[in-house]
Amino acid sequence: MRVIIRFIATYRSYLPCGTDGNSCELEVAPGTLVGDLARQYGIPLDNSSVILVNGHTIDLEEPLQDGDVLAAFPAMAGG
Amino acid sequence: MNGWHGRILRVNLREQTISTETVDPRIARDYIGGRGWAIRYLYDELDPQIDPLSPENIMIMATGPLTGTPAPTGNRYMVVTKSPLTGAITVSNSGGDFPTWLKRTGYDMFIFEGKAEKPVYLWVNEDEIELRPADHIWGKEVPESEDLLLEETDSKAKVACIGPAGECLVKVASIMNDKHRAAGRSGVGAVMGSKNLKAVVVQGHRNTAMADPEGMKRLSMTVSKEVGVDVKKGSALREYGTAYVPVVTNELGILPTRNFQAGIFEGAEAIGGVALKEQYLIRAKPCYKCPIACGRETEVDDKGYEGAGEGPEYETLAALGSACGIDNLAAVTKANYRCNELGLDTISAGMTIAAAMEMYERGFIPESKIGKALRFGDEDAMIEHVEKMAYRDGFGNDLAEGSYRLAEKYGHPEIAVTAKKQEFPGYDPRGAKGMGLLYATSNYGASHMAGDIAYSEVFGVPEKLDPLTIENKPQLVKRYEDAFTLIDATGMCVFLSVRYLFDPDMNLFPSRLSEMMNLTTGEEYTNTSIMLTAERIFNLERLFLIKAGFTRADDTLPTRMLTEPLTEGPAKGQVVELDEMLPEFYRLRGWDEQGVPTQAKLAELSIAA
Repeated sequence: MRVIIRFIATYRSYLPCGTDGNSCELEVAPGTLVGDLARQYGIPLDNSSVILVNGHTIDLEEPLQDGDVLAAFPAMAGG
Repeated sequence: MNGWHGRILRVNLREQTISTETVDPRIARDYIGGRGWAIRYLYDELDPQIDPLSPENIMIMATGPLTGTPAPTGNRYMVVTKSPLTGAITVSNSGGDFPTWLKRTGYDMFIFEGKAEKPVYLWVNEDEIELRPADHIWGKEVPESEDLLLEETDSKAKVACIGPAGECLVKVASIMNDKHRAAGRSGVGAVMGSKNLKAVVVQGHRNTAMADPEGMKRLSMTVSKEVGVDVKKGSALREYGTAYVPVVTNELGILPTRNFQAGIFEGAEAIGGVALKEQYLIRAKPCYKCPIACGRETEVDDKGYEGAGEGPEYETLAALGSACGIDNLAAVTKANYRCNELGLDTISAGMTIAAAMEMYERGFIPESKIGKALRFGDEDAMIEHVEKMAYRDGFGNDLAEGSYRLAEKYGHPEIAVTAKKQEFPGYDPRGAKGMGLLYATSNYGASHMAGDIAYSEVFGVPEKLDPLTIENKPQLVKRYEDAFTLIDATGMCVFLSVRYLFDPDMNLFPSRLSEMMNLTTGEEYTNTSIMLTAERIFNLERLFLIKAGFTRADDTLPTRMLTEPLTEGPAKGQVVELDEMLPEFYRLRGWDEQGVPTQAKLAELSIAA
């Protein structure tokens, strides 16, 4: 199945080489968990990260669905 | 006194008299400083019913006890006055260099009364204090004004001044300091303009005594080192400034788009921090002694948008960018420069133009009134109207009143996205419910700076909360409001404080901030007592509002937020359930059903109202 990863701000450095912008589409195995995919790209899974799926905070043990957008950025005081 | 100078400079502009007062140590302790001292003085001295632009208004520039100390980011000052935009109290705060220099004059706070007959500026160099003519500077934009003032005072002095917008009494005019930093919100620049006060120029070398200078130095170093470690690991604020945020809020579906008609903007990335860094960034620019350095020194050379300055920050990108449907970063940056040069609040200016664009497109404002089309996405029309707003030129005269009065004048107040007549900042509260309650209950109208629960709802600091639930939000909004009140009173910056000086959980106990206060002042604040002090300040502000005529009916949001759901994205179908949160918020605050502090609450807070 296909999912999109979007790594924002300093987390862009976790994107695969050659990615233009802050997103890329990936083929992942059905049943891949949110946390597994984030971990695979080096995203810290503690409270120093905000990890969203389709804009929602979600349990890292949840499986991703086809077409999901997994976004991650560092927890940080904002605008 | 330790921490405080304990001295206030009072300037009567009508009489052209200047006097010095000492501060009662009990007031110093019980109201901390900054926002706290200012409301204590305003509450005692200012009739809440007066016209904010009349000579009767009082304007205070206040620092806190941590301003100018070794505390990293201890470098904020705030302008406190009755706002011409909201009719309520306002606290408009800024960093840069000016706040520390103000404190080094040997005064904690300047109070301005009356109106000068002719334009003047105040020059304070410790004991050398005078009001000087400013006729030759009146009419000039901010950068030129500052250059002239430094030429005739001291090249190393620091300046806060108004631009043409403040002089023209534009209700969304800012007070600029160090050329590029803004006490932006609530029209404080118009109050300064109404007093014929062009500028305040400060210089001095008087540091305050500290109760435990070594202890304070140690704690400050510890905090600075922690920030340094985080910056080394990669800090979004250092790398991209707050400009990294449009992509974040867009991901949550709450980036104000086309006057809050949507929360997802197709051009979010185009106006984001990466684009800014790659195209226009010269360097990260810190405020005085700030280890974070979120400021952006930038330069644009795109044809037609040439300019240089600082910013834009997130709020500006949302207001002049997505809210106006504009994805041209060069144009947004140019408009940001022009707002700063003219002395306009970028948030209210952008959001007001966005409201005008929607009204034009819906046919509520005829083209003949504007003089030309004013459509979403038209960057050149946006920049042109920034200019017109500052000078009240033509249709700019309507824009200069802010979006609420604009929309009301043309018969459609529902188009204005304001709370207490102040424009929303860059978070659509339908997708961040705590922000909705915050906008509705802030003492100075819609503002993130009143208690930015977006830290938790959006940014994950200290914990990531579900932005769409209202569960527990009244309690958390109260905590955030009190926490931000405290930070404002101490003279610290919220960016560093919430992350590094508060406990890393949702209790928001200010353990290290209390410790810094004790090391500085020698007082014995505890987490509990200092939060109670913040609550005292917040409640005294509330009492001022009540005396000014505000009621429960004013603690509300536009109908768009209450009844028109967002139509796409993560917040699709959401509105703000304000009626479900407000009664609980009042109860937690110790207010009655009409939002009035009870006698029991006032007694608990030892408020002598």
